[in-house]
Amino acid sequence: MPGFIFIAALATMLSAYSGASSSEGNSPVQPVAYRHTIHVDTLKMNCLYCHYTANKSFDPGMPAVGTCMGCHTVIAGSTDGNKAEIKKLVGFWNKKEGVPWVRIHKLPEYVHFPHMRHVNAGVSCQTCHGEIQNMKQVYQASSLNMGWCINCHIGQSNPPFKARYDCAVCHY
Amino acid sequence: MSDERKSAATITQNPPSAVKRREFLKVLGVGTAATTMIGCASEKVEKLIPYLVSPDQTVPGVSTYYATTCRECPAGCGVIAETRDGRTIKLEGNPEHPVNRGALCARGQAALQGLYNPDRYRGPMARKNGKLEAVTWDEALQIFAQKLGETRSRGGAASTVFINQHETGSFPGFLDAWLAGFGMPPHISYDAEADHAVIAANRATYGVAMPRLDFRAARLIVSIGADFLDNWGAMVPQQLDWADARADHDKAPRLIYVGPRRSLTGLNADQWIDCRPGSEMAIVRMLQGQMPADAAAQATGVSAAVLETFAREFTATTPSMVLAGSGGADGFELATAVNALNQSRGNVGVTIKPAEPYLGFERISSPAEVRGLTERMNAGGVSLLMVRGANPAFTLPRAAGFAAAMAKVPFKVSFSSYPDETSSVADLVLPDHHPLEQWGDAEPVHGTISLQQPSMDPVFDTRATSDVLIELAKKDPGSAARYPMPDYRSWLIGRFAGGAAALAAALPRGISAGTLGQPAPARPAPAIRAAAPIEQSSGNMYLVLYPHPFIGDGRGANKPWLQEIPDPVTKICWQTVAEMHPATADRMGLADGDHVSIQTSAGTLTLPVYRYLGTQKDTVAVATGRGHTSAGRYAKSGSNPLEILPLGEDRAGGVAFVSTKANVSKAAGYALLVTTEGSSRQHGRGIGRAIAIADLRAGRPGNDPAVANAAEVARNGGAQSHAGEPNAGGEEHGETMPGDATHTFLPGLRSPVARDAQGELGNEQSTKKGMYDPNHWSGMSKRRWAMTVDLARCTGCAACVSACYAENNIPTVGADWQVGTAAPDRTGFGANITRGREMAWIRIERYFEGGEDGSADFDTRFIPMMCQHCGNAPCEPVCPVYATYHAPDGLNVQVYNRCVGTRYCSNNCPYKVRYFNWFGYGEPARPQYAFPEPLNWQLNPDVTVRGKGVMEKCSFCVQRIREAENRAALEKRALKPDEFTTACAAGCPSRAIVFGDVADENWTVTQLAKDERGYHVFEELNTYTAVVYLKKVNHPAAPAGVA
Repeated sequence: MPGFIFIAALATMLSAYSGASSSEGNSPVQPVAYRHTIHVDTLKMNCLYCHYTANKSFDPGMPAVGTCMGCHTVIAGSTDGNKAEIKKLVGFWNKKEGVPWVRIHKLPEYVHFPHMRHVNAGVSCQTCHGEIQNMKQVYQASSLNMGWCINCHIGQSNPPFKARYDCAVCHY
Repeated sequence: MSDERKSAATITQNPPSAVKRREFLKVLGVGTAATTMIGCASEKVEKLIPYLVSPDQTVPGVSTYYATTCRECPAGCGVIAETRDGRTIKLEGNPEHPVNRGALCARGQAALQGLYNPDRYRGPMARKNGKLEAVTWDEALQIFAQKLGETRSRGGAASTVFINQHETGSFPGFLDAWLAGFGMPPHISYDAEADHAVIAANRATYGVAMPRLDFRAARLIVSIGADFLDNWGAMVPQQLDWADARADHDKAPRLIYVGPRRSLTGLNADQWIDCRPGSEMAIVRMLQGQMPADAAAQATGVSAAVLETFAREFTATTPSMVLAGSGGADGFELATAVNALNQSRGNVGVTIKPAEPYLGFERISSPAEVRGLTERMNAGGVSLLMVRGANPAFTLPRAAGFAAAMAKVPFKVSFSSYPDETSSVADLVLPDHHPLEQWGDAEPVHGTISLQQPSMDPVFDTRATSDVLIELAKKDPGSAARYPMPDYRSWLIGRFAGGAAALAAALPRGISAGTLGQPAPARPAPAIRAAAPIEQSSGNMYLVLYPHPFIGDGRGANKPWLQEIPDPVTKICWQTVAEMHPATADRMGLADGDHVSIQTSAGTLTLPVYRYLGTQKDTVAVATGRGHTSAGRYAKSGSNPLEILPLGEDRAGGVAFVSTKANVSKAAGYALLVTTEGSSRQHGRGIGRAIAIADLRAGRPGNDPAVANAAEVARNGGAQSHAGEPNAGGEEHGETMPGDATHTFLPGLRSPVARDAQGELGNEQSTKKGMYDPNHWSGMSKRRWAMTVDLARCTGCAACVSACYAENNIPTVGADWQVGTAAPDRTGFGANITRGREMAWIRIERYFEGGEDGSADFDTRFIPMMCQHCGNAPCEPVCPVYATYHAPDGLNVQVYNRCVGTRYCSNNCPYKVRYFNWFGYGEPARPQYAFPEPLNWQLNPDVTVRGKGVMEKCSFCVQRIREAENRAALEKRALKPDEFTTACAAGCPSRAIVFGDVADENWTVTQLAKDERGYHVFEELNTYTAVVYLKKVNHPAAPAGVA
């Protein structure tokens, strides 16, 4: 009997959370171990240099392999680890393959999230994506749950933002 | 104990040892947990694949637009192809194009379903061991080159035939030059839908194939079977001009339609003269004054009184316009006589303008040439047959035996992109790019070159035929010198005035001033197989065949949108029916759907009957285009009436579609009609209202039979007026009722009548209204999205319906694999439609008024019906989960992820504009998936694809509203009036639909919503719809002054 109760409880907890599954904390291994710490923290590169449409489009944009090669044609890396990763990157470029990055942040398809409205409203990337510049491997820093989004939209962030929270603004 | 054993036996199927209850539950529990855990971990890992090099002009998530030319019919309209991340997702009309001026018809919208057709050839095919097998391009071209060489060396160059789908532009000349280089004769430019008799008569009379029809200059238009609002001539500009002409109520021309079948054009006419097929010449003689009305009445079967009135009106009204298009054996003589009539009335140059022709039909070959080919092929007189874009094995009557004759040709090459009856008999298939994937041009009117450019990379491994021809020419010593350029694009640039730079400058607009200067080749006069006069055939009824307005000669049959959008006249989809007058059907004991057998000298066909008031009483009418044998998964639906049309041509060489009588008799069995129509009558509900022009001018409300219960509603009281006073009743309906256009259209949320039900929102003193407060910083409730639909302009063409399908990812449900298993009696194409499961967010309702006695004197109302975004919506309060609610800016919103599928909202909607996903039409894993690859490439990424169990409806294109708001926010400005519009409004060639912010005086919709003709459908229900319909204006009698 206790075994059954344990299993039932486990099943309930899992199913309760699996529907609205939050991938908060999810940090998959990427095909090339790109370090935001180096590029953003040390080199002070602007997010928009790579994620070039974050202020123009719903889609923030992934940098083209050519964007990486812009520097890495000449920059081979300082440490052995870095050199190996850059070699992987160059390998993709030479094979004319896009680097198959593993997607971390994904909203359901019935939500339409406009990056450019947020970026242009002064919401920093770190507000939602966490301290990316400190992440050796990117992880999902926020739950991206609707309640978490609404929190800001109804003016409970610090500093408070003015944002519409009508359903049809995001759900259509 | 025994119970446990029994339950154990059924669950585990382990006989003897009894499983104890606890064990059983443990097993169940672990099983569930395991399932849940697996479910948890099975979230798919998505990859983000970046570009190698970012394209300069493409912003991911933002559309890029390319101007090009539509090739779905010869008119040559300009389209703007919206592409997103390299995929074309929507076509809009090019506003700068002189032909279509921003509008686009249903066929044009459905071009995308040709581009992404799941049955397209994936690559070249060659016949090996009797079967078409995939080969590489190298091999395919090598085979073709070899065959070309063999044909020439055997002296067969002069007996090769190239059939090209008729088009304008540089390609026909290019093709002829290429052929000449190989010693081959000029090509046959074939279009099975074009009205060849009229084209030939126009050429003889005016020197042009299709003069421009200036409807605005006419006071009276007489169309003798010329379906200029269906797909006769250059449909979109004709519809644009017609709607504009009718919108000027005072100067609007009357339209009288003469013919045995009331087509869509006929339904838009003010009067229908239901003459017998083949008797149209008597009408023309009468109008010419050469035949008295009595004699014409004898010949046509129409009453002498009607004809006399008609003749008098015609004589007294100038300028007029007479059009011919009967499709009969005497079509050429009829068209010639009509041209003479126009000349004698002084119409030429006034309403009929040969100086400004539509050039789409110049240089077209006659179908007789193609039919004559079958005789040549049978006699072994064709050494090599090449076919591009045309499907003569299907579009010619079966009696011509084209496919069988093809078998006698030693080698047959098809450039078709799709399998069809002709290409499936070919020996080599070199699939052409779709028009949206290739370079080209057109010359639709004098002085304008319409440019065609690829809007995306090719979907499959196809090649533009023009490029294939250049490649072959380069390999041929005789031709190589003339083709130094690498591809067709370079060839075009070489001929373009100003070269590459000028072309690049002109491409964004899609048009360039200039002319292509293509000389017309001498076409041989083909031997005609003259059709005998229809009265000489035997049968108890006349057989009238006509091209389906969307599917046409069959080219649209494998496009599910064109199959599913109901025919504008019959409201039938996916099915071929035999249309018959209800009185005739009664005589034969036929109800809707009963089978009839139609027998001609060429064969017999059994079809379900559709009782249609617009059929002449001795006629049975059938649409062509369906009933393919090998043209893809959707094209198999319906039947092909060309199987029973005897071979016969008019004097110009056009196929005589109305050439024979038939023996029509009741046959065994019946079929459910695949129709979206509930009733063809309004029963006094006042959905589609009309006002006579005399009443409109006099400011009288008029007497509309569609609003039979108006007096009763007014007497028993309607909604409370917005000042809180009850309707005094007894007043003329529509003059003081709130929500009527005469009242202030309230910006903001709701109608005043629901005030008590709105809590804080209804309380004028409350400050807790959030975004519904007009003073909220977002200003959202200062907007009120609304729409006007002018029924005086709407012709019922359903271009809006197809635009909506394209924009909003609406699934088609009529394919034969989309049937559930629950109803075994409903199978086959259209089964879901028979259960009412069509998903069109906007539909055209078509109601008849009058004609209950079976007379030809009935009026038709077309009402585009979409979600009315009611201010006092019946659907909103009944949703148990708040999946539908009223937004501050006036939209009735449907939130798909909240919907649990109760369907109470649809139940409560009086307009029945809510559609439920009974099956997983939007889910790739489910068998009813409506978008087999690559049709899903067309899906609009801005619109959620709905899954099973979710309710959907018109959203007023909320994604376009958001797109416009986002753009304005990025540019730090307010929205401009008329900055954007909905998909339905954008495409409409009648400009009937206008959308916008009705709370802002500067939007066009605001002025239209105040029009005196405005009304709301079911306004007595107090729904406070955001859609204002403007009454149709009828022009019932001849204008005053005619005796």
